[in-house]
This record gives sequence, C-alpha cells and structure tokens, in this order.
Amino acid sequence: MSELTVDKRDVEDVTLLYPKGFINAHTVRLFEGEIREALQQGRYKIVVNCSGLSYIASAGLGALMGAIEEIRGGGGDLRLASLNDTVRNIFEILGFNHLYQIYPSEMDAILSFARDGGTGT
Amino acid sequence: MRRPASAPARRGASPKAGTTRPALVLTVPSETSFLGLVREVTRKMAETAGFDLGTADQLALAVDEAATNVIEHAYRGAPDREVEIRLEDRGPEFKVEVVDSGNTVDPRAVPDVDLGRYVKERRTGGLGMHLMEKIMDSVTFRRSAGRNVCRLVKRKAAVARGR
Repeated sequence: MSELTVDKRDVEDVTLLYPKGFINAHTVRLFEGEIREALQQGRYKIVVNCSGLSYIASAGLGALMGAIEEIRGGGGDLRLASLNDTVRNIFEILGFNHLYQIYPSEMDAILSFARDGGTGT
Repeated sequence: MRRPASAPARRGASPKAGTTRPALVLTVPSETSFLGLVREVTRKMAETAGFDLGTADQLALAVDEAATNVIEHAYRGAPDREVEIRLEDRGPEFKVEVVDSGNTVDPRAVPDVDLGRYVKERRTGGLGMHLMEKIMDSVTFRRSAGRNVCRLVKRKAAVARGR
C-alpha cells in the first residue's frame, strides 16, 4: 500500500481532496501538488476529506498554511471534514482549529460554501 | 535494531520477571522514506510502555518531527547519513533520543509560533519544534561525543493526570 494517495473530484465549484495514508515530510509534495493544481485551475473552494488520513505532521500543516492566504485572497476557502481523533488532536495542539473551519462530514463542508458564499474566516 | 548498551541488561543485574523494561535503538538512513518506520516503531514502544493509543500517536509524531529536523536541517537533505533513534521505557517516563552527526542547529533560533503571523508571511518553519514542545514534557538538545542529541521525555504520571 502506498504511503499517500490523493484522489480528487469536483462538486460544482467545490474541489474535494481525499488524502489517504499519512502526510509527513516524505509525502507532503504530493498533497501540496494537488492543492496547487486546484488553484492553477482557479478553484478556490476546497474541501479536504480527512476520513482516510491516518496522521499529519508539521510538513502537512505547513502545506495547508502555505496555501490559505492565496485561497482566501481568491475568494474561497479551504475547509476540512471527517477528521479522526489523531488528526483532530494534532490540529487542536497547534490551534489550527481556529484557523480552519472543520466539519463532521464532507456534505456539511460542501454545504457550508453554499451557505456563506465560500469566503474564508 | 540493537539493544543500547545502557539498558536493560545491566552488568551485575539479574533481570527478574516484570522488572526489565524494553529499550531499543533504531538506526535509519537520513531519508524521509524511513519516517514512517520511525513513527511505527515509536508508537509500538509507547503503547508497550503503557501509554494510551492517542498519547502513543502523539509521541510518534514528536519523534517523526525530531527525525525530520535532523534530515532537513542537520543533514540538509543528504540521504546517505544515519539517524539513530534510542527509545527507552524508564518506568516513570518514556525517553527518546534522536542522534545525528550533522550540523548543530540551534533550537533557540526557532521563533515562537504565531499562527496569524505565519499565515500572513507564508511561513511554515518551526511548526515541528512547536509540536514537539507541546507534546513532550521536555525537549532538550546537547552535543555528545561530536554528535547532536535531541532528548524527548514524556512522564507517565503527567498523562495519568490528564496533561
């Protein structure tokens, strides 16, 4: 089994990313590349479905931080869904739960864009 | 993997059932592809030492971050060096030392993490160090025999008290 795969699909104007495996210094380039590709296509509403993510190290958190200004500057946001306890815990340790909107399910995250027009916090 | 010289079979001590605690040394090449192995071994050792799954996951992350720092900063990405991970259940505490023979990196040079400022400045460095300090009870650095030693300690009592 590979250490990280990232599937992607679009639901109207929202891009969904599905990282499966773990994101650390070894695998972060792949994750970063998928975010970058979405931005290059002008897609600034992104949901990262973390249901397949076993853990994320600082490299992955850095990838999220490195893109968020550009995403919000483009009128969108990056939102997270379906975090397991391990990943949620890491987010809370660093205070990322105050920086990103986190939803219990992918559908909740998609609908949140429809509710508020998609602009970040 | 080999057993460190200091533990647990000390000279003159006859191990009794229940008194010998696990310790091991893992040496991996300085390649990020080995971080997964470092993490798995650390997590298993932490569980064996009695930590709950959530805490064992955190400890594994802290060691992953320390090893990443060695690869990226002490060795500046060179893949042909060694990273030594010494793990030891010391009874009241769990100790991990991450050892390298690369450049000495001054951990005090890492600024405090201010998330708001980080986002504005698109900075991402220093997060790993911050995570290590949040997770562990102590993170110290020293030079020993020409090598850099990052020592991470987690007290079991602190976990039991809900820290």
